[in-house]
Amino acid sequence: MLSTETPFSDFGEEVVRAENLRKTFTLSRKQQRLERTDLPRKVAVDGLSFTAQRGEIYGLLGPNGAGKTTTLRMLSTLIRPDSGDAFVCGHSVVREPQKVRDAIGFMTSDLKLENFFTPSYLFDFFGAMHGLEKSALAARKRELFGRFGIDRFAEVKVRDLSTGMLQKVSLVVSIVHDPAVVIFDEPTNGLDVLTAKVVTDFLAELKAMGKSILLSTHIFSLVEKLCDRVGIIIDGKMAADGTLAEVCAGDSLEDTFFAIYRGIKGVTV
Amino acid sequence: MKLLALMKKEFARFFGDPRLLITMILPGVLIYLIYSLMGNAIFGGEERYAFRVYVSGESAVVDVIDGAVTQNGWTAEFVYLPAEGAQTAEEALEQVQSGQADALLVFSEGFDEAIAGTGGDSVPTAGLTYNSESDGSAAFAALAGGILENYGRPFAFTVSDSAESVDFARSMMAGLLPFLIVIFVFSACMSVTLESVAGEKERGTLATVLVTSARRTDIALGKVLPLSCVSLIGAASSFLGVILSLPTLMGISVDAAVAGVGALGYVMLFLLIVSVVPLIVSAIAVVSTLSHTVKEASGYTSVLMILMMVLSILAAFVSGIGDWAVAIPVLNAVVSMQSVLTGAMGVWQCLVSVGLNLVYTALLVFAIARLLSSERVMFGK
Repeated sequence: MLSTETPFSDFGEEVVRAENLRKTFTLSRKQQRLERTDLPRKVAVDGLSFTAQRGEIYGLLGPNGAGKTTTLRMLSTLIRPDSGDAFVCGHSVVREPQKVRDAIGFMTSDLKLENFFTPSYLFDFFGAMHGLEKSALAARKRELFGRFGIDRFAEVKVRDLSTGMLQKVSLVVSIVHDPAVVIFDEPTNGLDVLTAKVVTDFLAELKAMGKSILLSTHIFSLVEKLCDRVGIIIDGKMAADGTLAEVCAGDSLEDTFFAIYRGIKGVTV
Repeated sequence: MKLLALMKKEFARFFGDPRLLITMILPGVLIYLIYSLMGNAIFGGEERYAFRVYVSGESAVVDVIDGAVTQNGWTAEFVYLPAEGAQTAEEALEQVQSGQADALLVFSEGFDEAIAGTGGDSVPTAGLTYNSESDGSAAFAALAGGILENYGRPFAFTVSDSAESVDFARSMMAGLLPFLIVIFVFSACMSVTLESVAGEKERGTLATVLVTSARRTDIALGKVLPLSCVSLIGAASSFLGVILSLPTLMGISVDAAVAGVGALGYVMLFLLIVSVVPLIVSAIAVVSTLSHTVKEASGYTSVLMILMMVLSILAAFVSGIGDWAVAIPVLNAVVSMQSVLTGAMGVWQCLVSVGLNLVYTALLVFAIARLLSSERVMFGK
């Protein structure tokens, strides 16, 4: 059976805590022209703080370019914050990136699987990358492949899989090491309705397993359907943060979002 | 364990795809075929030799050699000294050197009796002098030498080359080989490294590994070590192709081409290649890691290749390069290979070159690990 135990019981209920995260990027001349700015640097994330609770799904909601992906990349240690810090299961993303990587499963469309290999091989490979023993790995493969219907395609090369099956394989590989926290960046972006359903069902199942999930999206319905808590990011800053009920206060999420957006940007949408 | 898994994946990627394996081995086969064909076209096909051989002393082995010559479809005229035109062995030797005669056979007095055990107490001797600058002389030496080597011993047998042909052959090999080896080694390394590093980065599969808890040094080593092994297959194939076909290309015998290089020389050549392969793989891996796409990496690698070619040409054709060359990666290997092939091999020079190349490789692996940790390099637009 999949473990619902987390290795961070001493950390309490806050599985992810971001503290004043800030990230800036240098803009090339071309990027400056595209962004219509003379500033040499762009502030992608500006003093972002929030917490995600154990066993819940936390949704980062915001328009394109708001800083969602940058935030998740900092949490997954792929990039370092300029200032501030974040803690995943009590481990600092700045000082203990390796421990953080052990505690998380990260999935984004930027991370791909090699077409040449089979799901079975890749599952074993990434299991070894996380230091899993062969026997434990075999048991976990049986369970996850069976649960998500991958077993019949276990020896089919990734390049020959359908989009939906490939998405399932990517999801399963990202949680091969049974991480306590699962981070998904725009998990349904660009997917057809059938594949998107595979993903949302998968997220719901993970939650049922007791996993803590952090996802970024700009799809209101996904947040309303899945998330316990939501953080609305606009221009790299946290504009609202809390449970859905707290943030929406009786309105729909969409209305709430645009009200906040108008308030900050001063434009009519 | 993680390093092992990373290495196994690279090997599985390579050996699971026969096309990649073929692209590694094919260059060597093609080099051999093309160079051999070129050599045959230049120097002609099978020769019909008519040998003129001076003989000092007497032995029944001359008849055995004559029989073998006839069996090969050739003819031989054995002229016993003193003879008209050559009264002494020295005069006969001059004719061998000048190409007027093909060989000089010298047998000690009572040679046959001494072998049969019915002669005197002194050890019988046989000597063969030939001129490797002449194809005919070299062919006779190969034939007669083989017979004498296996003739009813014990007797002392010496073979001497009266010409500077070995030096000529060596200088030809020394000039061409290091240059060719570096180019073929580089090509072998390039074809696998670009795809494996820049290709994976471009496709986003490298980033997937970066999200795991594998150390960056393990990931870097997990690329460089297996890619070096795979590249070595290609390098060895090309190396063998060159070694085997060069004598034909140069119109000399294989014996003449490889004589004097010796077993130690070949061990040194092999070690130098083995040390250069991971160095080049690491250098290309650094370039590939810095690039966004395979296309971009190919462009930068071409510059690297030109640099390597300039270094190897510099070493091969510019004389008087000092000991400082040992400190320059690749150049040190080329200079050392040159030393091995010209017979001026300095074992320490070779070993220092090998050691330094491995140190440079370690530094480059460390650099790759740093680059893998750099968000600007890995995720910069």
